[in-house]
Amino acid sequence: MLRNLSKVRKAGVIAAVAASLLGATLMATPSLASTATKHTPVLKPDNANPGAARLAGWKGKTINYLYFTDGPDEKYTRDLVAQFTQQTGINVNLQIIPFANLDSTLAARLAAGNPPDLARVASPQLYVNDALNLDQYFGANYRKEFLPGSYTAVLDKNGGLFGVPSDLTMNGPLINVDLFKKAGVPLPSTTKPWTWTEMLAAAKKVQAATKTDYAFAIDKSGHRLSTVLSQYGTNLIGAGGTNGLDVAKATKALQPLVDMYVADQAPKDLWLGSGAKYAAPLDIFYAQQVPVYLSGNWQVAALAANAKFNWAAAPNPCDVACGGFPGGKFEIAFKKSANPVIAAYFLNWLNKPAEQNYMDQGSFWMPTRVDLANAGIKYPSNAADMNVFIADSARTPDLAYAKDAQGAAFSNAANALRDGLTSVIAGKTTLTAMLTDLKTKIDGWIVK
Amino acid sequence: MKTLERAKAPRRGLRSRRRRLIPYLFLLPNMAIFGLFTIFPALRGFWISFFDSTDGRHFKYVGTGNYKEIFSDQAVLNVASNTARYVIGYVISSVVISIAIALMLNAQTWGKTIFRSVIFLPVLLSPVVIGLIWANLLDRKRGGINALLAIVGVGKVPWLVDSKYTMWAVIFVGLWTHVGFFTVILLAGLQGIDKNIYEAASLDGAHGWNLVRTITLPLLKPTTLVVVILATIQGFQSFDFIYTLTGGGPVGATTLIVQYIYDSAFQTPIRYGLASAAAVILFFIIFSITILNYLIGRSRDAL
Repeated sequence: MLRNLSKVRKAGVIAAVAASLLGATLMATPSLASTATKHTPVLKPDNANPGAARLAGWKGKTINYLYFTDGPDEKYTRDLVAQFTQQTGINVNLQIIPFANLDSTLAARLAAGNPPDLARVASPQLYVNDALNLDQYFGANYRKEFLPGSYTAVLDKNGGLFGVPSDLTMNGPLINVDLFKKAGVPLPSTTKPWTWTEMLAAAKKVQAATKTDYAFAIDKSGHRLSTVLSQYGTNLIGAGGTNGLDVAKATKALQPLVDMYVADQAPKDLWLGSGAKYAAPLDIFYAQQVPVYLSGNWQVAALAANAKFNWAAAPNPCDVACGGFPGGKFEIAFKKSANPVIAAYFLNWLNKPAEQNYMDQGSFWMPTRVDLANAGIKYPSNAADMNVFIADSARTPDLAYAKDAQGAAFSNAANALRDGLTSVIAGKTTLTAMLTDLKTKIDGWIVK
Repeated sequence: MKTLERAKAPRRGLRSRRRRLIPYLFLLPNMAIFGLFTIFPALRGFWISFFDSTDGRHFKYVGTGNYKEIFSDQAVLNVASNTARYVIGYVISSVVISIAIALMLNAQTWGKTIFRSVIFLPVLLSPVVIGLIWANLLDRKRGGINALLAIVGVGKVPWLVDSKYTMWAVIFVGLWTHVGFFTVILLAGLQGIDKNIYEAASLDGAHGWNLVRTITLPLLKPTTLVVVILATIQGFQSFDFIYTLTGGGPVGATTLIVQYIYDSAFQTPIRYGLASAAAVILFFIIFSITILNYLIGRSRDAL
């Protein structure tokens, strides 16, 4: 009896402690619902040239720059950061994280009220509500310094500019020239693009002749798959930000890929064995086990430095449309950071003609500035490969550049397309059923 | 005299109260840290589970909406089924194989240290490294396991690509990783059994398997229960090596509950509320199973 009483008393004490802890938590925690409506700081207008007095006031301050690297660009970014510090006395703390962790890290830091001052991102629409409006600093004409296709991704729903496009990317195939020559298969013309049928036939011929593991590989990415959709005349996000997915056209576009994965002519293990994650078959291309690899211009720098064989960028294949699929990296500053004004100034400085030209040359980036695009970048090597991508960017349908018209809908749809295709390759569903389901999902994302 | 004693009495009471308080004061720093970094975040997680967000920053109160979504989502049912299959396979194989290895090691007369070290070695490796090592070994085209199987005429088995094999591969790697830890615990239990009992049983004519069945296993039961509880908790919490080995694939065939929580919280669209709700459910599942294990073990002891 006494023991029972003691147990009851203990349970009571535990319950009381738990209740008080819960109470303390609830009291100490600001209402999560209220954070949605919390403050938007009023920022004083500024411009790209703050003047000597203002710059002197910023001397010795430190801004945090969250950065992911594709490899070779890190060195050039560090060089520019050092130059900036030397010129202004402002320190830049470069915080480099893996691309795979970028969005989760940034979201967690924003949620915790600890954002970096600026960040390099690939999906800027995820941060549209947190990013600094740059029109108030640099004026409404600032965007005209950049190619129209490159800055549409950093426009908010009111047309305000909330980021700067730092480099334009273009998807496209890379081919192993040595394997093509060994197989006696002619290289594609850089001026008259090949068709999908011709490209896949050539890839299979090279595989058969050279006994490589695979004929064709593509990054496991919805963005890369969008290249194929665009070439077959359909898009995840269509004209005017509508649902652009045409199931029949998309089925026609993706069926040859599915067939190759199922037949083991494309790296099925990489696609299926990496779960719901991005994966790139770059190592397979390095190992010369695939003659044609659909990726993009950001691989040029790494291949130029590391490939032990002759390779080349090839034009994107055509069906009803030609060209590749655009993407890019963007720099955005955050409203609630410690130094938004200095961050905006640094962001502007990084994308001045001389600075962007330095980054583009060293990192094999494609320019986003109109003046640089018109003048052309003098790449230290592989200029012919970069020119193939640049030519493809001109062939790319305008609609492809409007992919971000519905905020994060494109990112969500692209990830769903990647995961859906995984199910199709694994034989869990049919391509048409998956695409029909995806079309419904896109409707939901667009409404949201 | 009496006055003096009366004056001393409250002082003694005060001293006795202080003496009783001292252990709690020693515990206080630890409890404060535990409260701040474990209890508080856990309660905060419970609180967040009633909110939803699509970007991890702007939250909306949804009541039990996240819980309802979890219980009605077919994908979550698949995750639950995967987790159940993994935990059952992992716990049973871990317990059986750990006991077998512990018995063998306990009976060893030479090379004890080497064998015990080898068995324990995987426990010291990083789960990420383990995932990468086995991803290479189990690779369909160039993996070491299939190369060995080819010697005996077995074709290329798609260990990490075909859902028929993937769960087995994941259970095996989990087992390989932790069996050393469980073996050490069981070995300690075996060495705690009084040798006189074996001698007495031998005099009564018991030998070999009879000794194991009638003496070793019953006396090892409390240690086995600890291993079962630890393996169950570890089974439910498995994530890191699986994430690097299969990424939860193919097509979610090896996605367990912790990866579901991770993906909900850290993949776009970021949904901390949904992830927190799943974490709360996981807590109650592990807690219930642990209590159940404990009660079953105790009631058997009472018998």
